[in-house]
This record gives sequence, C-alpha cells and structure tokens, in this order.
Amino acid sequence: MTRAWSWFFSLVAIGTLALLVGIFVWQSLPVWRHEGWGYLTGTKWFFRQQEFGAWPMIYGSIVVSGVALVLAAPFGMGAAIFTAEYLPRAPRLAVKVLIELLAGVPSVVYGLLGILLLRNWIYDLFAPFDPLSGDTLLTAGVLLAVMILPTVVTLGDDALRAVPAAQRRAARALGLTRAETILHVALPQARRGLGAALLLALGRAFGETIAVFLVVGRQDNNLPERLLSLRPLLESGQTLTSKLGGSETNISYGDPLHWAAIVGLGLILLVLTGALTVIGTAFGRRSDA
Amino acid sequence: MRRLGDFLLAALAGLCALVSVGILVGLVFVVAQRGAPALSWSFFTEQIRLVGAAGGIFWNLVGTMILLASACLICGPMAIGLALVECVWLRGDRSRRALRTVLYTLNGLPSILFGLFGFIVFVQWLDWGKSWLIGGIVLALGMLPTVSVALIERLKAIPASYVEAAAALGLSRAQIVWAVLLPQAWGGLITGSLLGLARAAGETAPIMFTCTIFAGATWPRGIVESPVLTLPYHIFILAQDSFDPAVGAKLWGAALVLLGLVFFLSLIALPSRLKMHEEANA
Repeated sequence: MTRAWSWFFSLVAIGTLALLVGIFVWQSLPVWRHEGWGYLTGTKWFFRQQEFGAWPMIYGSIVVSGVALVLAAPFGMGAAIFTAEYLPRAPRLAVKVLIELLAGVPSVVYGLLGILLLRNWIYDLFAPFDPLSGDTLLTAGVLLAVMILPTVVTLGDDALRAVPAAQRRAARALGLTRAETILHVALPQARRGLGAALLLALGRAFGETIAVFLVVGRQDNNLPERLLSLRPLLESGQTLTSKLGGSETNISYGDPLHWAAIVGLGLILLVLTGALTVIGTAFGRRSDA
Repeated sequence: MRRLGDFLLAALAGLCALVSVGILVGLVFVVAQRGAPALSWSFFTEQIRLVGAAGGIFWNLVGTMILLASACLICGPMAIGLALVECVWLRGDRSRRALRTVLYTLNGLPSILFGLFGFIVFVQWLDWGKSWLIGGIVLALGMLPTVSVALIERLKAIPASYVEAAAALGLSRAQIVWAVLLPQAWGGLITGSLLGLARAAGETAPIMFTCTIFAGATWPRGIVESPVLTLPYHIFILAQDSFDPAVGAKLWGAALVLLGLVFFLSLIALPSRLKMHEEANA
C-alpha cells in the first residue's frame, strides 16, 4: 500500500512535469512550422502582420542576465572567499543565514525598489548620455545582479568549504601565506563548484520575471545598431520573461499562431534555464568526486 | 611584498562581503522605513478602497494564506512520495540520480512557466477561469523540489542502525517507513515546507494569469471562477501605475507586510536547519 501510494504521487508529480514540457513543445508547433528556425533569429515581432521573430527578446534576456552576472560575480565571489576562508565558524554561519534570508526577498519587492528608486538613480547617473527613461536594460541588469548576489555568495561559500581543510593546512605548512593558499590551492580546487554557482545564478537571472518586467521598459523589436558599444544598455528592451508576463499572453490565446509564438518563447526559456541547471549541477557534482 | 598581497586579498574580500551584505540589508531597511508608517491595526483588517489609496489589505492576506495552505496540502503528498521513492523504493544509483536531476531541474525552472502551464491546462482547457485552486497547484509545483530535497536529506541522515534494528525485528519495508523513517524525518518535511512556502508567498509570476485579481474578491465560493486577492499581485499592479503618494505609502506598507511574512516563514525554519548543519559538520 505504502509503496503503491509513494509511486502514485511520484508519478503524478513527474507526469505533471512531463506534461508541462510536452505542452510547451506541442502548443508552440504552429510557430515553428510558420517561421522555421527564423523564429529564433528573426528580428521583427509584429503579431498583426503574423511576423514572429524572437531574437530581440533572446538578446534582451542575454544582455540583462549578462550584466547581472558581470556585476554580481566579483562581489559575490569576494564575499564567498571572505565567509569561507576568513570568518570563524559562528560569524560565518550568521552571515550565511542573513544572506540566505535575503535570498528570499520576493521579486515583486525588488521590482518595487527598482521602479521607485533604482530607475531614477540610473536616469540621473547616466543623464550625460541622454537615456530616454530610467527603464533600461542596464536598470534590469543591476536589479538582477542584486537579486542573484545571495545565490552566488552562498553557493560559492559551499564550494570553497568543500575543499578539505587538510589541503589548506598543508599549503600553510609549506610556507604559503593565507592569500597564496586561497589563490593557488583553495580556488583552483573549488573551481568547478564556483563555476556551478555562477551557472545556477545565471539560470535564476534568465528566469526572473516580475522585477525585470517592471524596469526593463518592455519595448519590442529593439536591437542595437552598433555592436561593441555600451550605449544600447541605456535603452529599453524586452526579455523573454517580460514578454511572457505582459498582456500579450492574455490576448493571444484566440489566435493559434500568435499563441504558439508566445508559448514558443516559454519553450526557449525552458530549454535555456533547464540546460543551465543541468550543466551547473553536473559540473558542480564532479568537484567533490 | 607577500605580506602586502596577503593583506590586500583579505581587505578586498572583506570589502566585497561588506558591500554584498550592506546592499541587501540596506534594501530591507529601505522597505521597513518606508513601509512602517502605513502599518496600523486597520491596515490589516480593512479591505482596499479607492484603488489602493485607502483601506487595508485584509482580503489580500486572506487570499495569500488560502494559496499557501492549498499549495502546502497539494505539495505534501507528492513530496513524501518522491522522497520515499528516492530513498526506499528505487533500486540502483542511476535511477536515483536521474530522479534527483529531475528535481534539481524542476527547481531551476522559472516560475512564469508554471503560471503559463496552469493557464493552459486549467484556465483554458478545463475552463475553470481564475481559481484559487490553480494557484495552489502551480505554487505546489514550484515548492515541490525544495520540500522533496529537504525530506530526502533528512531521510539519508537517519542512522542505518535504526533501519537495521527495525528490519531485524521483522518489520516489512512499508512498516519501517511508517514506524522509523517518517517519524524521524518529520522535521525535514516541516523545514522544507516552510522554506518552500516562504518562496511561494512572494511569487507573482505563476499566479497572475491563473488565480488572482486586483480587487473585488473575498472568500472563494467553489472552484470555478473563484479568484482571490493576493499581496504580491496587489504590489505588482500598484507599482506599475500609481503616482499618487497616498497609494505609494500603502504600497510600501504592503511590501513590508509581504517581506515580514516571507522572513517569518524562513526564520521559523531556521533552528532545525542550523541543527542539520551542526550534525552535518560534526
């Protein structure tokens, strides 16, 4: 009986997940048939003309998460080194508890802070470059950086703590300073775990919806004119998640092709975040093998 | 020179830690400072009036609680089932690892995808309209990995001698589950659920298409077409289109209440997590 019920509920859970993946594939089929691979690379999204190109949204997601990772990685890694290598046990636990508590701040609260404070700061700070508003890709990236910071710190700390203490003692006994021990012994040994921390944080950044939605400007079809310029960061954009969170999701259901295009964005997001998580977890696991 | 390097790395790492903790604590401080003036007894007991400019968040709190309770009830059996399958019934490391990979992947999926899933299956196909129960289901999916993994970890921490003793007494595996494993791992279920609920409480993306509206709902009557008001959606809507200072004050108040709820849920899970941590390091 117990065994049957365990399997029953597990299969319900796994079946639901399989159904979820299946639905995203199946419901987006019309758009793949309509656009082919052009759906991924197309730069124009005009649903009234039945033109569906997802590239501006993919670009937006990549830029926003990239900015977040570039900003969060150095601070997060530095903080992880500090908690794992310098702090004694009790304060380390205290900082970790605090950081994990802060990881739970709901994204809508971050969104509120972004919309009422951060976007004004960004607008004022970059006034010399004439941004049209404070709703920019940069704003979303900075906000996301703060949101993924706890993930980077706490997973980075775990990765560093997984390096056996004996290794550090041996290095110190050979006459290496503490800094040399960290840079030449602890960090290289923890690199897989640290990489996993960054990948998982990147996955979270990709999937974050509400906070990004509130500050990214949600402007369709916005791609940079020049590559290798930082100016496009100060323009509004659209990410996969902000598009999915918008009103277009509600109005598109009546039109199978339009709906397929919207669900297709979900499928892209599903594949991207799923891949990041799987690679990140597999990558991290081998570090302690 | 080497001394200097030693000092520099310590200073740099310390600075990073200070900045990280400072930003995050500062942000909580800002919410607390701006939200505190709005808090009063009536803020918790009245309904919204004048599109958020007056009144309180009573029904939003009620709705959020309804969602959390239903999510917890739906998630519980699935999490217990998955954990038992992983720890007791599955034979072979490969299938166990596959199951855990599924759980980790599920954990990494953006919550908006659960929202779309709920929208397609329940709102459109089953024609339920917006309903609190859909919210419970999608939030349960979101918290499922957290709860299952916490339970699995606790099950793995049970000393093998307990199980061996029970087996030596002639208990079947099902009896061992009920007499030894579940009573010992109960705490893991509670801790995991609290952490999962803390995350679910603040979710907006999965519920906005499936179960919540901005105003005009009280107790749900039945399942079909019975939406609820919720705190996160309230904040989400008001944050977008309100420049009225009266609304602003209430908005920060609502954000502070939500933050308080989330922190409360994770803090009551804390003692047992610390205990786990101690045991893991001992």
